[in-house]
Amino acid sequence: MTCAPPAPDSAAAQWRGVTVRYPFRGADAVGPVSLELRRGERVLLLGPTGCGKSTLLNALTGIVPGIVPAHVGGEVSVGGLPAAARLPSGWSADVARLFQDADQTLCGLRVGDEIAFALENRAVPEPEIVRRVTGAMRQAGLPEAMRDRRVATLSGGEKQLVALAATIAQEVPLFLADEPTAHLAPAAAERFRSFMLGSFRARSFLVIDHRVDELVACFDRVVVMAADGRIAADGSPRALFRGRYRDLAALGIALPAAAELDALLSDAGLAPARPPLTVSEALAGIGLGKAAAAAPVIRAFVDDRTAPAGAADGEPVVRLEEAVCAPLFGKPVLNGITLELRRGEAVAILGANGAGKSTLGASLAGLLRLAGGRREGPPGGMAFQNPENQFVAGSVIEELADAQDKALSPGDRREAARRDLHAWRLDGLEDLHPFELSQGQKRRLALATLAAARRFSLIVLDEPTAGLDARGIADVAALIAGLRARGRAVAVITHDTGFALKACRRAVIIVGGAMLADGSAQHLLSDPLLIDYAGLAPPPIAPALSWLERHAPC
Amino acid sequence: MLTAFHPLPKLTVCLVWIAASVLVFDAGFQLAVIALVAFLLVAVERRSPLLVIVLMLPFALFGAGFLTTSVLFGEESAYAERMAGEALFGSGAVAPGIVLFLRAVACGMVSALFALTTDPAGLVKALMLHARLSPRIAHALFAAMLLVPDLASQAQQIRLARAMRTGRPPRRIPGPVETASLVVPLLAFAIRRAGRAAIAMETRGLAGGRPRTVVGAPRVRRRDGLCGAAAILLLAAVLALA
Amino acid sequence: MDTSYRWTLREILIVAVLGAVFAVLYLGWVQVWLVAQAIFGAVTMDVVMGFWFIVSIIAAAIIRKPGAALLSEFLAAFVQVLLGSPAGLLLLVTGLVQGAGAEAVFAATRWRNYRLPVLMLAGVGSAVFSFIYTWIRFDYGALAPGLLVAMFVIRCLSGALLGGLAGHLVVKALYRTGVLSGLRIDHDLRSAGA
Repeated sequence: MTCAPPAPDSAAAQWRGVTVRYPFRGADAVGPVSLELRRGERVLLLGPTGCGKSTLLNALTGIVPGIVPAHVGGEVSVGGLPAAARLPSGWSADVARLFQDADQTLCGLRVGDEIAFALENRAVPEPEIVRRVTGAMRQAGLPEAMRDRRVATLSGGEKQLVALAATIAQEVPLFLADEPTAHLAPAAAERFRSFMLGSFRARSFLVIDHRVDELVACFDRVVVMAADGRIAADGSPRALFRGRYRDLAALGIALPAAAELDALLSDAGLAPARPPLTVSEALAGIGLGKAAAAAPVIRAFVDDRTAPAGAADGEPVVRLEEAVCAPLFGKPVLNGITLELRRGEAVAILGANGAGKSTLGASLAGLLRLAGGRREGPPGGMAFQNPENQFVAGSVIEELADAQDKALSPGDRREAARRDLHAWRLDGLEDLHPFELSQGQKRRLALATLAAARRFSLIVLDEPTAGLDARGIADVAALIAGLRARGRAVAVITHDTGFALKACRRAVIIVGGAMLADGSAQHLLSDPLLIDYAGLAPPPIAPALSWLERHAPC
Repeated sequence: MLTAFHPLPKLTVCLVWIAASVLVFDAGFQLAVIALVAFLLVAVERRSPLLVIVLMLPFALFGAGFLTTSVLFGEESAYAERMAGEALFGSGAVAPGIVLFLRAVACGMVSALFALTTDPAGLVKALMLHARLSPRIAHALFAAMLLVPDLASQAQQIRLARAMRTGRPPRRIPGPVETASLVVPLLAFAIRRAGRAAIAMETRGLAGGRPRTVVGAPRVRRRDGLCGAAAILLLAAVLALA
Repeated sequence: MDTSYRWTLREILIVAVLGAVFAVLYLGWVQVWLVAQAIFGAVTMDVVMGFWFIVSIIAAAIIRKPGAALLSEFLAAFVQVLLGSPAGLLLLVTGLVQGAGAEAVFAATRWRNYRLPVLMLAGVGSAVFSFIYTWIRFDYGALAPGLLVAMFVIRCLSGALLGGLAGHLVVKALYRTGVLSGLRIDHDLRSAGA
């Protein structure tokens, strides 16, 4: 085990012909990949889920093969030293990693202890640790008073900020982040952004993410991986998104909304000279006097990302009147909720983390008893945040058969289950245990079991896009449209305003224990003050919506 | 006030008192222990007397079982006769049962006193620093403790999902069958989380056998030694009197 | 075959979370038991006791390294201490004793055999050690021999069924969910099946 300092002009991180294969699998999880991250570069790594992005990061610090057994081919090096030169724990002085769902891997009882953890492991003297923790808390936006609070009492968003502070405190030259903005709080994403932009230029960043619109302007370079685990594209963001838009879109990865708008404007000859990274930039680049020509293009762009109008108002399915909603055996969190859902309608329930959206969803579905007020309508179904919580059977086919109409014979139920398996694209997975599926497959299975139970005329989805890539999200939007077409009412709980626009015509905003607004999704989500007050991030197409208001109202 | 004391001497003192309670078969001694703990909790720690009673309850129930067993099935023996003669209470079979009952409450009270006046993080850090508790085990314990509230919310979600399937709302306390069906999904959730936490902790540098700092560990002060000695002296005095 | 006896951090964490999950379950089970105990006497303790041994059997069957049974019972008790359970200190000792009982059985099989009969035997082992400990602690010498024999037999049965058999079923169901991949149990089952 060497402790030599890295050579001064070597790359911050380098992969040369790297392949990784897990035991008992027939194909490589990733590779062959050759990639170099230069000192001080800020790189965004994009790719569909399952293509091996996290595996690549794991190979860098020796997690693979040191902790997770796998066969690693090729050479991986950090700062000129091979990854195998140190144990995975030996890299903590040079590499910091912000893991996916870092709020679930905390290991200190108090906030101060959590942030100091990595420094304690390096035997840094106590006064120095105290100084660094103070600095890290300030950068992450945590008040000093929080230092002695117990971690168990923090909200999800606060835990994420603590996890961010813990990595900031490490003060390392190479920072790896795995979906840092897949959070439920825009505050954490904003803090990460300012940390990245405010860092010394010598610090290198490699970030994996799916939500590109907020961060893309901060990066020098974008690397795209395809589903087969190889690199498909590599270059500066502006040139890459304009030059290779069609190929990248075909890969099913998340692309900035501006890139799609840019492609549409280019086809119409209205694109700005410099490739835009945000929708505002793209709109600002439309020449004077070209507004009339641009209007249909922009309208097509917007229509593609908003939900289609449904059939005329169906009959009401569920109605809450002055409802007081409380979680199971808990105190009420929502008061005075009056809400009605009709057949064929999709409503988005929006609000900041902890606002009580899940409680409202479960109350709407009739799963939670109201602490006050009334609920009218048949019981509904709910797809929970963690799809595993609804699986009871030992195999996928059993799960589907179990959900079918009880009046049918077992043979008929199995037949119906097989049909559903095919309809929801779960072929080949019949005998797997539901917990072994990928996140997207689990969500589809959960939805399939809900849809099969015909008695549910209302289906509530709790954060259905968490953990999914662009293709998965598009799938969910299509599934919601399908449910609407079949006459069910759908309520979608989400913090993702872009998805809310895509899937729902109507939106309800929850703030401070009450329903703040209920109306057309497009209308509510174009109001920046409302969005900010509710603790949400504005949808990427918001500038396009207000542009249309100004230039082509209809 | 008791919370300010270093946890390790406090732990030793409590264990010594519990051992004494187990070894001394005398109702008076057990009563003295109970009274002493109650005094410490109410007068020194300023907890409500109701809390003391609520704490005593489970141990009393536990002890009551021994009392009834002893009464119903106790063997008449010279030993028991002798005890009855010396004890305050009547028949030969009841007296040992009473002592067992009081002993159960006494041990429980000392244990409860320790639990109420000790900060868990402080205890583990003190063990890391002075008792060479492996940092891997210590932080694994912390991570496991942080898991517990999430287990509760996962269990709730699972129960709601089951309620949705069967159409019946969940009861407040899950019955034995329902609890049994919760065990495997909760364990799967916990084990998966354990795997991810292990990777995260190791990436942040946790390894066995290397020197490391422990921030915020309780410091040993002179008064800890003084109070430890006082507690032992008190024990000797009570033993002598009983 | 990997013969290293050093524990990985993942294995330590798994034992710790097993301890946490069962610490919570035990706290619940205790309420039920205490009420029954007050009415029916000390024998109820023997009937329900087997459940207290289950965590050591599950941990040993998953990790398959020396010390798994002992460490898991101890950590389950220690987590209860940390969570503030009033009975924490007392549970530390009983946890050690019960874990040692199961560990003794696994040691006798040289930590290689984890089939159902061995697991049930480990449950009995815990019951035996626990019986000796409670004999001393609760002065069983003063009780009728007939009752003592009944208590011992019931406790051993409880250990075998509520500890060994139930533990075996839980581990089997857990394995099917796929969360145990990469651990020694996975290694053994795959090589046995391959």
